[in-house]
Amino acid sequence: MTASRGSVFLSREMAKVAGAPPLAYRDVALLGRPDRLFNLTLQAGEVVAAVGEEDSGIETLGTLALGLATPASGTVEVFGLPIGELSYYDLLVFRRRLGYLPQGDGLLQNLSLRDNVALPVRFATDHRLREVDAKVTQLIEDFRLRPIAGLRPAQANEEDRRRAAAARAVALNPKLVVLELPFVGLTARATMDLLERVSRSEDGGRRAVLLTSRDLTPSVRGLISRAVRVVDGVAVEDKK
Amino acid sequence: MLRVLINQIRFTALQAIFLVAFLAAILAFLVISQSIRQLGRFGAIDNLGTIMVVAVIRELGPLLTALIVVSRSGTAIAAEMATNRVMGEVTALEAMGIDPYIYLVLPRMLGAIVSVATLMVVFDAVALTSGFVAAATSGMSLNRYTGIVLKTLSAGDVWLTLAKGIFFGAAVALFCSYHGLAVKAGPTEIPQAVTRGVVATIVAIFIMSALFVVIAS
Repeated sequence: MTASRGSVFLSREMAKVAGAPPLAYRDVALLGRPDRLFNLTLQAGEVVAAVGEEDSGIETLGTLALGLATPASGTVEVFGLPIGELSYYDLLVFRRRLGYLPQGDGLLQNLSLRDNVALPVRFATDHRLREVDAKVTQLIEDFRLRPIAGLRPAQANEEDRRRAAAARAVALNPKLVVLELPFVGLTARATMDLLERVSRSEDGGRRAVLLTSRDLTPSVRGLISRAVRVVDGVAVEDKK
Repeated sequence: MLRVLINQIRFTALQAIFLVAFLAAILAFLVISQSIRQLGRFGAIDNLGTIMVVAVIRELGPLLTALIVVSRSGTAIAAEMATNRVMGEVTALEAMGIDPYIYLVLPRMLGAIVSVATLMVVFDAVALTSGFVAAATSGMSLNRYTGIVLKTLSAGDVWLTLAKGIFFGAAVALFCSYHGLAVKAGPTEIPQAVTRGVVATIVAIFIMSALFVVIAS
């Protein structure tokens, strides 16, 4: 199988910053206030939880990491590249190196769960149809979606939708995954299962994962490397 | 993407064929019946071909077809795009590295172009047939009717129909998609986006129709 499609510009830029941390927020004003700056660096293979109340600023961490929003000040570097400075089409190509589970699920309502999982593999890679099918079938098995793979998102329950969205997020085997409030409405067991599957890469190693959450259960704490508490747009050490 | 394209053609062209054919038949019948009555008074029945070709085939046919497509498919496209935006699906596509304009807009544009062009051909065929029925009820033979129409109809009319199909079809998909994707506030904005998309498309189609007249002359 071939890797995801890339651009010459990105390949050159990525080579310059080889070995850079997967994700770094540097003096980012999450709430637009210059006196409240957010700093956080994720190392390779690290699972970090950003915990915060509503309007604490955690809502914007995912969109900033994906370049879907631009910070009022400061920079967000993904694999060493300031993502806010990339052009629209370079951003599209670059995002194929990242996994993203938006708040809710972001599944396309007119596609089945299987087609949703297949979407990035079909459109962002040069895989042949048979390879796409094999890859998608593997993901469906890994995320235990087989019995409900033919359902539309509206026909599936919240847990199944979230698992399908998670399978889609890791479909291109990214080294960095961003999960926005991924555990809302899930049982403790489903939460652990989801996090375990998302943080494990295809070669058996660990992916860098940034997840946002309102709170962390003890079971989740056992699966993450560290947690930071976000208060009024600033990261403080989580002492729990 | 191919599935979206096929669905678009099925919904826009196939499911609208009977409506287009019905309106084409009625319009041509009325125009030709009235024309024969009026032209007959002045002994100018040979001008029937000019009325059929210029008024029905060249102008009213493409306009009416495009308006049918706007009212059926344009509204659906605008509503679907707006819903995609509101549900966060457009953002999800961008986050996956998929260009939403390629994934969502392009197949709809191609589908609309193929559909409008095809429906215009259907409209013309039915209108010509219905025109003959109207002429026949006034005692005109098939040979005379065919001769009168063919005298005015030229290869340029075929190209003009094709060009109008491409431009009108593209306008339906592009204007409706643009206004659908421009929704920001939430679900309550969807009906407004649909209205904006349809109005903009109708205005664009009439302007383009006028431009075609200027260019063709």
